[in-house]
Amino acid sequence: MGLGVYVHLPFCPYICPYCDFAKWPMRRSASEAYLAALRAELANERSLPAQTIFLGGGTPNAYDAATIGELVGELRERFPAPAGEAQEISIEVNPELVRAGDFERYARAGIDRISIGVQSFVASEIATLGRKHTPAQVERAVAAAREAGIRSVSLDLIFAVPGQDAASWRRSLETALALDVDHCSTYGLTVEEGTPYERWREREPRAFLDEEREAELYAIAIEMLEDAGFEHYEISNFARPGHRSRHNANYWANGEYVGLGVGAASYRGGERSVHTRELATYLDAARGGRPIPSERERLEGIAAVGEAIMLALRTAQGVELAGFKERYGVDVLERYAPVIATYREAGVLEATDGYVRLTRRGRFVANDVCGAFVVFS
Amino acid sequence: MPTKPEQPHRSLTAANVRNFCIIAHIDHGKTTLSDRLLELTRTVESRDLEDQALDAMDLERERGITIRMHPVTLKYRAKDGQEYELNLIDTPGHVDFSYEVSRSLAACEGALLIIDAAQGIEAQTLANYHLALEHDLTIIPVINKIDLPAADPERVMGEVEELLVIEKSECILASAKNGIGVEDILEAIVARIPAPKGHTDHLRGLVFNAQFDPYRGVVSYVRVVDGELKAGSRFMSMAHQKVYECTEVGVFSPHMRPIKKLAMGSVGYVIANIKSLGDIDVGDTLTEANNPAHVALAGYRKAVPMVYCGLYPNEGVEYDDLRDALDKMKLNDAALSYEPETSVALGFGFRCGFLGLLHMEIVQERLERDFNLDLIATSPSVVFRVTKTNGEVEMIDNPSKLPVMNTIESIEEPFVKATIITPPEYVGAIMDITIARRGTLANMEYLHDGRVILTFEMPLIEVIVDYFDQLKSRTKGYASLDYEVIGYREGDLVKLEILLNGEPVDALSFIVARDKAPSRGRALAEKLKELIPRQMFEVPIQAAIGGKVVARETVSAQRKNVLAKCYGGDITRKRKLLEKQKAGKERMKRVGRVELPQEAFMAVLKLDD
Repeated sequence: MGLGVYVHLPFCPYICPYCDFAKWPMRRSASEAYLAALRAELANERSLPAQTIFLGGGTPNAYDAATIGELVGELRERFPAPAGEAQEISIEVNPELVRAGDFERYARAGIDRISIGVQSFVASEIATLGRKHTPAQVERAVAAAREAGIRSVSLDLIFAVPGQDAASWRRSLETALALDVDHCSTYGLTVEEGTPYERWREREPRAFLDEEREAELYAIAIEMLEDAGFEHYEISNFARPGHRSRHNANYWANGEYVGLGVGAASYRGGERSVHTRELATYLDAARGGRPIPSERERLEGIAAVGEAIMLALRTAQGVELAGFKERYGVDVLERYAPVIATYREAGVLEATDGYVRLTRRGRFVANDVCGAFVVFS
Repeated sequence: MPTKPEQPHRSLTAANVRNFCIIAHIDHGKTTLSDRLLELTRTVESRDLEDQALDAMDLERERGITIRMHPVTLKYRAKDGQEYELNLIDTPGHVDFSYEVSRSLAACEGALLIIDAAQGIEAQTLANYHLALEHDLTIIPVINKIDLPAADPERVMGEVEELLVIEKSECILASAKNGIGVEDILEAIVARIPAPKGHTDHLRGLVFNAQFDPYRGVVSYVRVVDGELKAGSRFMSMAHQKVYECTEVGVFSPHMRPIKKLAMGSVGYVIANIKSLGDIDVGDTLTEANNPAHVALAGYRKAVPMVYCGLYPNEGVEYDDLRDALDKMKLNDAALSYEPETSVALGFGFRCGFLGLLHMEIVQERLERDFNLDLIATSPSVVFRVTKTNGEVEMIDNPSKLPVMNTIESIEEPFVKATIITPPEYVGAIMDITIARRGTLANMEYLHDGRVILTFEMPLIEVIVDYFDQLKSRTKGYASLDYEVIGYREGDLVKLEILLNGEPVDALSFIVARDKAPSRGRALAEKLKELIPRQMFEVPIQAAIGGKVVARETVSAQRKNVLAKCYGGDITRKRKLLEKQKAGKERMKRVGRVELPQEAFMAVLKLDD
């Protein structure tokens, strides 16, 4: 089992009203202090080979390309590629901030995967989401990535945006496909606690799409992307052959990862931990060379197995029974026989050729199915 | 009193004792007045007077009603210079407990009748007044809250004259809250209420209330009608024919204070190592074991449950825990009855009998709160009297136990006389909802102040199924209701069955008038559709009468329920979200393949007309 490295870069040119990640408006002084803190945290990390490095946010390219390049260099020094293996290095970018030459600088630093936060190609939906890019900017960003020789280009799209319908969603997907990208993530809009969107929904619940319409849009995404040759390899992710996100695949395989930065999550030695989401607290601890205050959790026994099943069921492959038996000492078919029988009967789960996985319909109700395996902590 | 003494008794008057109760509609100020009486007689110092000192239980305070309260002895030096022992005996404030009310009244010679100076006479005031008259009590009308801006004592005194046939001049104007008129009330108690009369020997004590104390057993509240009751003596319960050694007698002042004996005419408590309220109960007569009275005091009857429902353990609750809890509740609540029953849908549980809806709610709430049990209650039913074609008669307290229709000759159901007092503008609405519930108007009378007294006869089942809430909402809370059971009447009744996924769910069936069955069936199917969350499968809901489907609804299958995001590897957060969803699901009851929320079993109570 490999190791992934996640680095959180929390600054954004502006804040989107649906987002609930740890994020702050970009300010030079704060962003410089943050970088120093991140380097201090990195300096305390043990050097280990890592299969993947992922720069997420926030908006990582709110930092200039040279800074990103240097940071990636330092990360690779601490977390080199395992012997004889290519390292996947991804970065999330906002298309409006991409400047000429950025992606060449990324490529020189070793970044081989770019995930563009598009969300929608329809102007009214982009506005609803509180974003400011134009479809042309996305197009130029994709072209720039290709020119710079970036191996994998991915787009993030959001469905069930207020005001969206089947036709407008198809338009976004068609535009994405026309750009000939390698990977596509489609996320159903989740209204998170404490966001402006939550308050909007309280005021105007009818503006938001109901379950039926959301399901319809999800079905459209699956149909169009699969028809275009993408594999629906995880609930929200589609890839052309050879272009799955290895970094995310490691999460679903219950692999280990190191999270660096404010609010970042780690999983090592059976312990899950999440860094504080308070910027000042993080800066203080990291710069002082102290451990970052974190929430920690260690699941044991069947609770840990349940969580692993929850993760594996998100993938097209599903739970590999032999692998689970070997790794967790649990015969999933036997241990969860009643649950599996119920959901098989319902047509949302299948158990064939050594795997238990969601059926096509099961992907629409994954929470319910996965929930049956998790144990209260 | 139908006593035939074989030896001459010596009659006696306890000249300095007065036994009285306070009767009032909810919120008319009974508790506040009790507190003021305690304060003014220095039974309790005002600084020690917890607000509403006599209401023992949280639940009662929350609901603003008194279910059970102990009596209290006040020492009062009247203006005539003499000291009097005034025994204030509580009466439960709800129609469910009308038998208990009648026993408390039987222990008194007089009653304070409290009427809110703004609200006027309400249905419950009238019902209690009539009950007090039946017991031959001297009534002292007290017009309370006269200092409220909306108070209209003149109008209310007019009502007293008109409805209660009591002269205006007998009314005492008071504000218990601000201490106005309280001394006048005390003087009136002394002057107007007769002193108790009785015989000197042949003890007869009326048990008008009893509580269970886990350390001391049953504490009986007794009015000594004849003779005296001494600590250390042996007495007999005449209803149960059991002899006990009296370990302690005493009075409440306001806390329990042991004394040597309870004399003729007085009120106090008796402790005698009695293990449960089944061994002695309200209405019982205590007499000397060695020299028993020949005839018990009149009026005793066993508590008869009027309303039944099934109580079942929900997920994580053990059947045995529920049984233990019911056993413990029963120690302090003789009126509660329960028997094991099995439901196809809900498994093992109990059929429980209650005096009425409030009693049912109180018991359920205590089980959940005091015993921390998560329960499923089925919708309440009454006891139907079913005569079969072979002449056999069965009492059916569970609709699912109704024999098949072709073996039934007739079904009878309990009827009540319901009295409603309302402002005239709501008469139409009340007629609508009551006639829709098979009520017939028996009488209509206009009051002095323009309000109307409506008397209906209607089936009890229609009263317990959401009638009170409907009445309150249709009359903006202005109408008041009181009812009493008047006997069984035959009805054209059928069993309405609910099928989920084609399978009948016994816990959802109910008995209903034949001509109303299709509309009730449709309404219930619609309500269930609202209450049952989407599942993996489509869930067909059917309502059927004798196998014939009269309504059908469908809960569509769940369409989408997915957490899209990965939260940057914050797996714990993701799992917690799923756990939360799952927790909601686990509170539901699985019936066949269908997950039913608890409210579904009470849905029949929530149908709109």
